[in-house]
Amino acid sequence: MTPGPKLVSILRQGPYLIASVHTALDDTQMTRFQEDLIEQIGRHRSRGVIIDVAALDVLDSFATRTLRTIGEIARLRGARTIIVGIQPEVAFAIVSLGMSTGSLETALDLEEGLTYLDGPTWREPDRARAAR
Amino acid sequence: MRSGNEPDSPAQPDITSLIPLVRRVVGARVHEATVAEDLVQETLTRVLATAPRVEPGLLESYAIVTARNVVSSLWREQDRHRRNQHRVVDLRPPDPPDTDLLASEEQGAVTRALAQLSERERHLLLAHEVNGRDTRSLAGEQGSTAGAVAAQLNRIRARLRVEYLLALDNAEPPTDRCRPVLLALSGGDRRRQREVDAGRHLLECELCARLSSPLLERGRQGRDDEVCIPIHSDGDIVAARQAARELAARLGFSRTDLTLIATAVSEVARNIVRFAEAGEVVVELLERPRPGVRVVARDTGPGIADVEQAMRDGYSTYHGLGLGLPGARRLMDEFAVASELGRGTTVTMTKWRRR
Repeated sequence: MTPGPKLVSILRQGPYLIASVHTALDDTQMTRFQEDLIEQIGRHRSRGVIIDVAALDVLDSFATRTLRTIGEIARLRGARTIIVGIQPEVAFAIVSLGMSTGSLETALDLEEGLTYLDGPTWREPDRARAAR
Repeated sequence: MRSGNEPDSPAQPDITSLIPLVRRVVGARVHEATVAEDLVQETLTRVLATAPRVEPGLLESYAIVTARNVVSSLWREQDRHRRNQHRVVDLRPPDPPDTDLLASEEQGAVTRALAQLSERERHLLLAHEVNGRDTRSLAGEQGSTAGAVAAQLNRIRARLRVEYLLALDNAEPPTDRCRPVLLALSGGDRRRQREVDAGRHLLECELCARLSSPLLERGRQGRDDEVCIPIHSDGDIVAARQAARELAARLGFSRTDLTLIATAVSEVARNIVRFAEAGEVVVELLERPRPGVRVVARDTGPGIADVEQAMRDGYSTYHGLGLGLPGARRLMDEFAVASELGRGTTVTMTKWRRR
């Protein structure tokens, strides 16, 4: 682990993992975070993962891609990933940058994210989309 | 009176017989063996010196008192030493042995630098700096204005700084671009620096990079509308985008624009780390034509063979998204890439503050 205050904390909450990013991460730290999280999903047999990025003021192409990768890997391992706390201007920047984020599930904040995971909404977005 | 008439001979055995006694007295008070022995010797010397004047029966007591006095004067001495010790600490570092040599080298460098100036320039500079003549009287002499003389003096000083650095380094500039670049940096002339592409030259020319650091530092004093972040590793990407955000925030950009700028800086800085390993990101605030922030990312990497292709979405030479350059372009208002194979790439991008 890096010395000093923790950059990321990963907490276990029942069948879910809650990962909070506390400060800006460089690419190496981002990659390590991805590895740690994937490893813990396997170890705790988590069914859902919430990644709180409210503290990040920039999500550039690499960070967005890493989040997408985490989501994909977790999905393949049977866990659902929700990104919460994306700041409005960060969201704007991601769109302006031209990142495709279709595969990322998001919620406004941690509470919403937990409700989302708890509720009977599993797969519902897909069905809703199909019905339309 | 009798003792006064006695010759020294009977005193001698007395003194030697005193030694164990004196040792005991001193030893009881002073524990350090060598110090105690010194004191014993001193006591004996004193006793020996005064023995002829002391009544024989009292010699023993006299020795004891002398020993005590010697010990207490040692203590007094130690105490005084301890109390005054702070006074002897010399906080000024001693002159290093090479001071004179450095001074003479420096003098030589100044002489050589002055020799590079023309007779008229040297005359003007010395008249102003050494003889203390003001610009107005100099202007009267030349039939010009005080402002023009001041500008002239500035140019001469800039020249002198460059020549001094070259002379001190004993170096001859390897290319004919070096001198103009150093002059532009020394004069702090931003427009001229851009004309001669000073930033790129500094990345390429090892000598100029070294010589220019005092010039740049000098220029930076009182200038806080520009930051330069060297880019070598992942961590520098974060540092660059944070510095850009902080600087741009001073100009009153909206939070959204600050995020766009920071994200764009992140992208171009990452390109440097991925492709070139080393480079720099310079962020500078602009006042004209309107408030804005300009980001220049330079590297000495392999260069981009086909800039147009690199600017197309989805084009990527490394395992990425190919969003680096085109993505950054979408975030900024102005965007230009100049690249030369084998020499490196310069990305210049600008964001204007919205009214």
